[in-house]
Amino acid sequence: VILLHRLASIVRWLLRRKTSEQELDSELQTFIDLSAADKIREGIAPEEAHRLARLELRGVEQTKERVRTYRHGALLDALGRDLRYAFRTLVKNPGLTIVIVLTLALGIGANTAIFSLIDALMLRWLPVRDPQELVLVKFGALERRALGETLSYPIVRALADQTEIFGGVGGFSAATFNVGPPGSITKVPGAMVTGGFYETCGVTPSIGRMLTRDDDKENAPAVAVISDGYWEREFSRNPSALGESLLINGVPVTVVGVSAPGFVGANVGQVADITIALAALPQINPKSAGLLGPGNFWIRALARLKPGVSIPAAKARLASVWPGISEQVISPRWPADRRKAMAQYVFDFSPGGTGWTFLREIYRKPLVILMTVVAAVLLLACANVASLLLARASARQAETAVRLAIGASRGRIVRQLMLESLLLSLSGSIFAIGLAWLSSRFLVNLIPFGSSPILLDLTPNWHILGFTIAIAVATGLLFGVAPAFQACAAGTSTILKESARIASPRSRVLPSLVSIQITISLVLLIGAILFVRTLQNLQNLDPGFNRSGVLLVSFQDGSIFRSELLEDVLHVPGVVAASISTDTPLSGSTWSEPAMPLGQPLPQNDNAIFMGTGPRYFETMQTALVAGRGFDESDTAKSRTVAVINEAYARRYFPDQNPIGQYLSTTARVGSGEPGKPRILEIVGVAKNTNTHGLRRDPYPVVHVPYAQLKGDFPVTFEIRVSGSLVSASAAIRAVLQQRLPSLPVEVRPLSAQVEATMVQERMLATLASGFAVLALILACIGLYGLLAYSVDQRTKEMGVRMALGALPNSVIAMVLWGAVRLVLIGIGIGLPVAWTASHWIQSMLFGLAPTDPRVTAGAVLLLVAAAMIAAYVPARRASHVDPVVALRHD
Amino acid sequence: MEKLDIPQGTLELMILTILSREPMHGYGISQKLAALSHDLFQVNPGSLFPTLYRLEQDGKLKAEWRASDNNRNAKYYKLTASGKKQLEQHRQRWDRISFAITNVLEGA
Repeated sequence: VILLHRLASIVRWLLRRKTSEQELDSELQTFIDLSAADKIREGIAPEEAHRLARLELRGVEQTKERVRTYRHGALLDALGRDLRYAFRTLVKNPGLTIVIVLTLALGIGANTAIFSLIDALMLRWLPVRDPQELVLVKFGALERRALGETLSYPIVRALADQTEIFGGVGGFSAATFNVGPPGSITKVPGAMVTGGFYETCGVTPSIGRMLTRDDDKENAPAVAVISDGYWEREFSRNPSALGESLLINGVPVTVVGVSAPGFVGANVGQVADITIALAALPQINPKSAGLLGPGNFWIRALARLKPGVSIPAAKARLASVWPGISEQVISPRWPADRRKAMAQYVFDFSPGGTGWTFLREIYRKPLVILMTVVAAVLLLACANVASLLLARASARQAETAVRLAIGASRGRIVRQLMLESLLLSLSGSIFAIGLAWLSSRFLVNLIPFGSSPILLDLTPNWHILGFTIAIAVATGLLFGVAPAFQACAAGTSTILKESARIASPRSRVLPSLVSIQITISLVLLIGAILFVRTLQNLQNLDPGFNRSGVLLVSFQDGSIFRSELLEDVLHVPGVVAASISTDTPLSGSTWSEPAMPLGQPLPQNDNAIFMGTGPRYFETMQTALVAGRGFDESDTAKSRTVAVINEAYARRYFPDQNPIGQYLSTTARVGSGEPGKPRILEIVGVAKNTNTHGLRRDPYPVVHVPYAQLKGDFPVTFEIRVSGSLVSASAAIRAVLQQRLPSLPVEVRPLSAQVEATMVQERMLATLASGFAVLALILACIGLYGLLAYSVDQRTKEMGVRMALGALPNSVIAMVLWGAVRLVLIGIGIGLPVAWTASHWIQSMLFGLAPTDPRVTAGAVLLLVAAAMIAAYVPARRASHVDPVVALRHD
Repeated sequence: MEKLDIPQGTLELMILTILSREPMHGYGISQKLAALSHDLFQVNPGSLFPTLYRLEQDGKLKAEWRASDNNRNAKYYKLTASGKKQLEQHRQRWDRISFAITNVLEGA
């Protein structure tokens, strides 16, 4: 309360400083008047009475000053004076000020930029009611350390019925909808949600209504809620959008509402422009109706616990009701032991107010690494600025001494210097915020994923502003300590002597600050080179196919495929080969089945990746065949079922045998046969291994079967090898296919982009880490240059004497360079162990090299020494040009 | 007559006590203090005003400008609720201190 009063009084004082001065004046005047009046009444002459009254006050001004010091304004007043003084000092030396502010802007800006990415990806609340109350439902076997986050549609619905535990449960999953009439179909990012989703989140419509439980019933009319952005782009914010029909997969879906601005679903980074109830899935995509069954776990759920129910209580109650519920929501087709195991699964909750995104899993560690890197850059910038300020402080020793001599307290001088530091760091942070905002867009572009763009809200908010100001203040205090300390340590008497500047022993602080900078930049350089080499190793890795010059076109529904389509594509100029397959390597989705040599029992779990491929698939992908043949036109739905296995499969299941002509049995739906009975495949070829899952993983055993022999629904991807420009070929291919398939959106993408997408983490780390390392190196070189230039300047006289005594310019250069080399060597000596220790922390992110790779270390050291020598040569040359006559007259 | 120094920390208590009877201006307080102490205490305005300002800032006193008895515009101070509580506490503490001192002196 007292604090509030004080605060209020400071504000009052600021608002009416004038009036309060006047008030004090007239109050004291009243005192004098009243006192004098009493004295006159006692018979003292008026003039004498007034004099006596004044005396009583013992000096009007002194009393006023004492009152002022009691008022908290006084402190502010003094601060204001100091601030003005600090400001004038900084303006007086614009060059130094600009260098310092820019250095800080880069250091703080790097931190703000990375932090704003972390904030957008991990910390930002969803724009919903009381987001801190939302929890994400987790589910899985108790023995497993990490529970899963995906649930089946029946489970989410069953949870929503537990009104004794939950205030609401809403399931959601990102989706992409094909919207529009045939011929002009666009892909629109969206979401499918359960009926309780909007109610649970507490999101309100800006017009119309949100989806409710009634919309999420079997055979309810298909309706959609659109985002504010989609309403703006497609309907120009016209309220008549309500009741309009969107054609999704050719099925009309009525728009019933527009969600409040800002809310774009619970998938962070993936904007949901159109949101539809899950129950409408069979209407818009009959083939996917099975996804609503009890066997598919793909929906995440946000929940709000019932008021008064704690998380442990909710878990306990769920544990007691789950066995009962599980009977209805577990697929009856599953084997009994699996059903029994699932009946013993447990639920848990994690904070859900920040939504969910797969990006968090991918980028958590890279972002933590980058945050450490930028913190190191900032530390380096602090050392840099501190050394600049120290150099200036010695130039200001005379000023400090005068201030001390005329009675300024040391505290006052320290306050003054700290204020200057804070002023510098806060001005730096203003530029930093701008810098971070500009660069954060570039940062988001570094994290593309597949074909859907990542849209993150990066507008500066209070988190980011608070973070920036906090680190700016911390920075200011950090780099301000050294000069302030030095100013205090100096005594008044010595400094006022003219020669003191030369006589004073040279500070150890300045060189050690430079060595710190060398240390940090060496550590960052080694880290950056490790990441760059990792990326290069991955890029140079042979994945078993040639990714350049191949275009891909994918369709979810393989039944659209006719061989004429492939004929049309082959006629496009520049196309040299084309084939089809169920999926492509590194696409992120794979199909797996049990498959064993004939005669061996089939395992319970899938042991092979399956891929349906068309004729000339291996030629098109340029995957070498080790033995036998690939598929051709003779492999049809009616011919005998055949397979091409890869080396990994051959090595594991046919060791020391020729697999050609051997047979496989599999549950895969290939060829004709009795349902439920394994099919027999004859192996006709062995292909080289390809990386199907990721470049870092060893190749899996793969079984290729002819696409034409597949039974059932499979997706289809065209692989088209092109000679010449990919851009013009992809436009032509798109035009040809779109004409043939008017009701589907045709997207042509390069295979190389799909491969690159598996390296986004590595690319981001390599790009940013090397950017920051270069920044660090430049700052460290500036620091080194500054120190040498300063010391050469200070030692002009000494240089002059040396030259006069016959020292050669080269030996002077060598002397200065040797000083630099010593600092650099100290920095490297400390930096190497630090770098080696730190690099073990990133070992899991490296590929194809050890964290202490000697070539990497040597490269970093060489680079650093070269840069340092360049920085040192300029002042060294200047030292060798000192004219002895001029130098001896110096001072 | 020889004047006494006002013991440390008691000026605030005396100001609050005087103001608890009626609102008063600075000069009035100094006069009242002198009168009540039979002229043994003479408060120095250089201590009085800073104390008044501090009490006002801490919300123990409220001030308003109005005409004094002889038609001068004067700043009148008056106790706030929080000031009354403060007085109560100070008063109790003071009573215990003086009780204790008296006991010590008479017991010795």
